[in-house]
Amino acid sequence: MDASEPNQSATKPDSYEAAVERLEEIIDRLDSGQAGLRETLDLCKEGKELVNYCAAELDEVGEGLKELNLDDLAARLDSSGAGAETP
Amino acid sequence: MEESLSQEARAQQASAGPQLPGPFAVGRYARKLQEEMRKRARVQLIGEVTGVSRSKVQAYFELRDGEGAVPCAIWLTDLEKAGLGDGALRDGAEVVICGGPDYYPGGGQASPSFSFRATHVRLAGEGDLIARLEALRKQLRAEGLFELQKQLARPLLPKTIGVVTAERGAARRDLCAGLERRGWGGSVVWAFAPVQDRHAAPVIGRALQDLAARPEVEAIVVTRGGGSLADLWAFCDETLCRTVAMLRVPVVSAVGHERDSTLIDDVAAVACSTPTHAAEAAVPLDCLAARGSLERCAVALRRAGEGAVEARSRHLGALARGPARALQRQRSDLNQKIREIRAASERGLADRTSFQRRIGTVVLERARRRALGADMEQQREGLKRAAVALRAHEPERTLERGYALVEDEGGEPLTSAAEAGAAERISLRFSDGRVRAKPERDEA
Repeated sequence: MDASEPNQSATKPDSYEAAVERLEEIIDRLDSGQAGLRETLDLCKEGKELVNYCAAELDEVGEGLKELNLDDLAARLDSSGAGAETP
Repeated sequence: MEESLSQEARAQQASAGPQLPGPFAVGRYARKLQEEMRKRARVQLIGEVTGVSRSKVQAYFELRDGEGAVPCAIWLTDLEKAGLGDGALRDGAEVVICGGPDYYPGGGQASPSFSFRATHVRLAGEGDLIARLEALRKQLRAEGLFELQKQLARPLLPKTIGVVTAERGAARRDLCAGLERRGWGGSVVWAFAPVQDRHAAPVIGRALQDLAARPEVEAIVVTRGGGSLADLWAFCDETLCRTVAMLRVPVVSAVGHERDSTLIDDVAAVACSTPTHAAEAAVPLDCLAARGSLERCAVALRRAGEGAVEARSRHLGALARGPARALQRQRSDLNQKIREIRAASERGLADRTSFQRRIGTVVLERARRRALGADMEQQREGLKRAAVALRAHEPERTLERGYALVEDEGGEPLTSAAEAGAAERISLRFSDGRVRAKPERDEA
């Protein structure tokens, strides 16, 4: 996407890397000083949403390792499946 | 399909049975079979030993790899000659045996059996394993299996990763430390498996498939510590490597301390030398650095937004003040011109006054001079008239009329007869000259 065309729809990015890539485009465009006032404000709004998205993604992996055991998960799945079959 | 074909072949053979040679006595056939087997070429086989057992004179075992197995037998005398040492021929050992196929026809009581008669055995060396590895590597590369994993997209920030490793290995601890150093605290799904011996590869393969089947798992790490190639041989298992190549989830391998020493390194998306590096490959984003970078982005965006508005506000303000400033400038210019005009006019007035004063002075002077000239004429006339009057009264005029003036010797006029009679000498002044005389006195 061309950085000079602000993402008006402000859709949620597909991934963290997509968000970061778009964010870098926006910063480059703003740094160029070629964006008009309306475009600047739109880019800032979109960039802020991307920053919030990225921060939320980082928060999701920021609370310490959660260790799970594949065997436990499989056993849980089996027991829930067996429970579902029980009339 | 194969099964149905073989059934069909068997049916044909059965139907053709009456036309085949024989029937032969089975014992004779068994001995003939033994002869034929022993004619086969003697070769070397390499594989893993399993199911070792011993009789009084022989040792029995199976030699197998991922594709199949052969029952083997060796005379204990030959085994002793090999000099392997006690217990060297054990389950899990990688060995090279020399020999050829044999068939024991059995006897009245003994059961017949097929076996590979080994006449020599030695533990497989690094060279043997490398040769096997290279053959496998060449085969899998030719099939394009090394490229499949590398074409998968690896997420920059996975939330859940799967890990296949030994439950009590140091690799587990190192991997966790590596993940925490990156500031990553997502979910780790552990799939513990043996990482050495013949049983390891199938368990590891199943664990990988189970992890890849979980939708939340975005990357998988397979890791174990260092060891010899024989120790790591499970990770060169052909079936395991084919499994890895076909997974939908990218696999990061960190087996041993050197990259590309095992076949799984070749088929994996990324091969690492240590569990710490595997942590970085599984979570490519350094979360701590990313947080700092995100902060800077947020600041840059805020500044850009505020700066754009402020700069334009200042510009607008400047534009709004423009007319007033222009008016003020014009007013200042005007006042300046007024001051200059006033000064100029005052200077002009003073000059003119001075000029007029000079002119007036000149005119007055001229008038005075004119006026002064007329008075002189009058006075001159008066003087003339006075001179005429005076001259009329001058003694000379009287003398001219015939009168004489009596003076003493000093020239002072003597105005009485007494003064003249008293003077020794007198002078009689006529209009045309003097006559000196001596008065005569009356004696009376």
